[in-house]
Amino acid sequence: MAWEKRERGGLYYTRSRKVDARVVREYVGGGIRGEIAARMDAKEQQQREEEAAAWREERERLEELAGLVDEFCEAVETVARATLLAAGFRQHNRGEWRRRRDRGTNTKE
Amino acid sequence: MTEEPTPKSKLAVRRYEDRPVGCPPGPDAAAMTKEEKEAHRDTVGRLEELVEKAGKGDRKPLPEIRKILKESPDLAWQLMDVGRVAEWRYTEIMLKEEDFGLKEVLRCQLAAMREEIAGDNPSPLERLLADRIVLTWLQIQLFEDAYASSLSKSMTIAQGNYNQKMIDQAYKRHLSAIRMLAQIRKLGPAVQINIGERQINTAS
Repeated sequence: MAWEKRERGGLYYTRSRKVDARVVREYVGGGIRGEIAARMDAKEQQQREEEAAAWREERERLEELAGLVDEFCEAVETVARATLLAAGFRQHNRGEWRRRRDRGTNTKE
Repeated sequence: MTEEPTPKSKLAVRRYEDRPVGCPPGPDAAAMTKEEKEAHRDTVGRLEELVEKAGKGDRKPLPEIRKILKESPDLAWQLMDVGRVAEWRYTEIMLKEEDFGLKEVLRCQLAAMREEIAGDNPSPLERLLADRIVLTWLQIQLFEDAYASSLSKSMTIAQGNYNQKMIDQAYKRHLSAIRMLAQIRKLGPAVQINIGERQINTAS
């Protein structure tokens, strides 16, 4: 959004927007018409910024909450896997846990 | 709690909420210092490294894994503390500040779910896994709720996708938690060892 100075004098309000990945400049007008358009655009811009800030905040909140659970889940997973390994099991192809059949299997290793 | 360790089948039925997961007789988790918490993180971190190595078929880390599990009987309890902090945060966020009654109802519901999932006379590991299932369930509720409430506002496609991704990840965590508990139960008493204060090893 910008005010352009014309060669013959006076200011002219223009706005740019993207249409099919191309930037298209729209010539709105000068005087009171340009002034109204400029104010409306500024208000919309402010609203967008507020919405973006609220979304950023919400996103940070969700990520922080997810992080709390992630930390807990990963630690529990580690302990559970450690327990299985210590008890003489191994994971078959990242799926089922099976008892080790190889030589010397014992849990007092 | 000073009772002698006994085989699982002979243990008297004890209500799940009687004591926290794997809580040993002495330590007060609330009084843990920053250094102790760091030490706990280091232990889990070391265990994670060893588990990763052992998961690739290397048997060398097994003795150290057993040693850590044996020497850290309060590991499960400390972990549970992390889980309870997360649960508390979630209930605080999901319900209004002044809704003390509803918060209490929700916390009781979560405790009942933990008890039901853990079953009668659960091993400390089963308790911990039951905690994880309940916490991930709570996470799904929160994310679904956040998504539903954002539907009433204007939402961009990117925001919708992000919310959906968070929900999908929460479901994945929840299913993974259920799967691990099912596996532990399927393998039976052979894995009821070294977590918490009881050292039960009935591996055949």
